[in-house]
Amino acid sequence: MKAAPFEHHEPTSLSKAVSLLESLDDPTILAGGQSLVPMLRFRLARPDTVVDINGIDELDYLDESDGYLKIGALARHADIEESDVVTENYGSFADAAPLVADPQIRNRGTIVGSIAQADPKGDWGSVLIAHDGEVVAEGPEGERVIPVDELFLLPYDTSLDENELITEARVPTPPEREGSAYHKLKRKTGDYAMAGVAARLRFDDDGTIADAGIGMTAVDITNARAADAEAHLEGERPSAELFQKAGELAAEQSNPESDEHGDASYKERMVNVLTQRALGDAAERAGVVKRRATP
Amino acid sequence: MTDQREITLTVNGTERTIEVEPRRLLVHAIREDLDMTGTHIGCDTGNCGACTVLRDGEPIKSCMMFATQADGSEIMTVEGMEDLPAAGEDLHPLQEGFHKEHGLQCGYCTPGMLMSGKALLDENPDPDEAEIRDAISGNLCRCTGYQNIVSSIEYAAEKLDEQAAADGGVVAEDGDSDGFDCGVENCCGGPSAETPTPHVEGADPQFDDVTEGSESE
Ligand SMILES: Cc1cc2nc3c(=O)[nH]c(=O)nc-3n(C[C@H](O)[C@H](O)[C@H](O)COP(=O)(O)OP(=O)(O)OC[C@H]3O[C@@H](n4cnc5c(N)ncnc54)[C@H](O)[C@@H]3O)c2cc1C
Ligand code: FES
Ligand code: FES
Repeated sequence: MKAAPFEHHEPTSLSKAVSLLESLDDPTILAGGQSLVPMLRFRLARPDTVVDINGIDELDYLDESDGYLKIGALARHADIEESDVVTENYGSFADAAPLVADPQIRNRGTIVGSIAQADPKGDWGSVLIAHDGEVVAEGPEGERVIPVDELFLLPYDTSLDENELITEARVPTPPEREGSAYHKLKRKTGDYAMAGVAARLRFDDDGTIADAGIGMTAVDITNARAADAEAHLEGERPSAELFQKAGELAAEQSNPESDEHGDASYKERMVNVLTQRALGDAAERAGVVKRRATP
Repeated sequence: MTDQREITLTVNGTERTIEVEPRRLLVHAIREDLDMTGTHIGCDTGNCGACTVLRDGEPIKSCMMFATQADGSEIMTVEGMEDLPAAGEDLHPLQEGFHKEHGLQCGYCTPGMLMSGKALLDENPDPDEAEIRDAISGNLCRCTGYQNIVSSIEYAAEKLDEQAAADGGVVAEDGDSDGFDCGVENCCGGPSAETPTPHVEGADPQFDDVTEGSESE
């Protein structure tokens, strides 16, 4: 099926994009198009105007600066995969990138577009939650920073205004003694998650957990925070028992639906398992524990 | 009411200018405006990879982007394979591999598989089986069971390596000024000077296995 006709705008600067978004009626932003193009084609979306941001070079970046990993709106999934900074320091991002879709999609799709899409099955939302990340939005009223916990409202719905554009997603640079990981269960390579868990652990000098972040994929109406599990971990020393309890709490807090891939109770068990694995990796990467030989 | 937009694509080395509506998909522009039907449409949802082409050397799904977005870029389709320097007189080693190793049955997925295989070998001339499977993970085949596709790409890697050795490490230019140049350095079957991008594995090998196991269930 063909997309309904639309007017196509290709601004080459952020300021032009912002003024276009302000002046146009019902504009839709086109980034990597790996979610939007099929939606247009199946006429699930029928915007009159499409603002294609691919020509805005100033949004094409991925760097570590001012205490953040900054992901510009045009950074593609493949850029994360290929980044040395990410491989070194951001375990959950390095884990997630090659698990998103397939190589062709990763060459086009953007991290920010995926977050803006707010698909509860999207992987990056969970990673952002685990890292207490935020997005920077630019609109007619100027710039504002939206913490991830205030971003996702419903499936495919965010707190972004209609004419706002996300310029950047960012997460704090991990200090010493912090590690993170992402685990995803899927039927086959290239699929969306049946369940996924991103975990981040920061340790005090004495080896207790100072801060924990856990984000869950595909098991609620949005990417969701496992707040009870996080609270249970903080102030404790890592152990198999502790992670097991955290896994149980995450599973309890998840809210998956039964579908053709598995019933809800199975997915809850998977949340439990994936949480334990992600926590184990995070702790190991923080340099605090050596994992036991058998999972 | 929609406007028509003039766009220029360099397709397999030849510059082509066409008029398209903004809603025209790249795959339709290639198949219908340029009459190059080697690039297939299998699913229309971004899943199957039959429509894979190289855009400035990178594999993308041409059903997932508008033609206007490819304005000014170099596109390679399956029709360009036999004009590559590495193809010599006849087939490109990848095509030869699919022939010799029975890498196809119905052939529907083959153009996309060839493009993904080409992109892989340009980056990484000596891939192992896992890397090959990863590179074609966005391409579905309903016939072969993939085994022979992997063998076909392995065949091509070896053949290209032999060619490079015979040429003293450099693939000969075909001297034809119209010869296809995909725009990527050390590309088109030549030995790559770039270090292959390290494959980012999952968290921990011990757990990778477990996850892989559950994936296939
Ligand atoms: C076959 C297939 C498999 C996939 N598998 C996975 C998977 O396993 N995991 C996963 O996470 N994703 C998966 N995806 C989705 C993929 O990650 C997309 O890249 C992503 O969802 C959207 O990013 P995009 O840049 O393509 O955005 P687009 O498709 O261009 O846009 C998506 C939405 O976000 C809005 N938007 C985009 N950029 C901005 C911005 N800067 N500011 C405000 N709004 C914006 C658009 O208006 C649109 O509503 C898959 C897609 C396909 C086709
Ligand atoms: S037709 Fe493009 S991915 Fe199937
Ligand atoms: S050979 Fe028939 S789909 Fe691959």
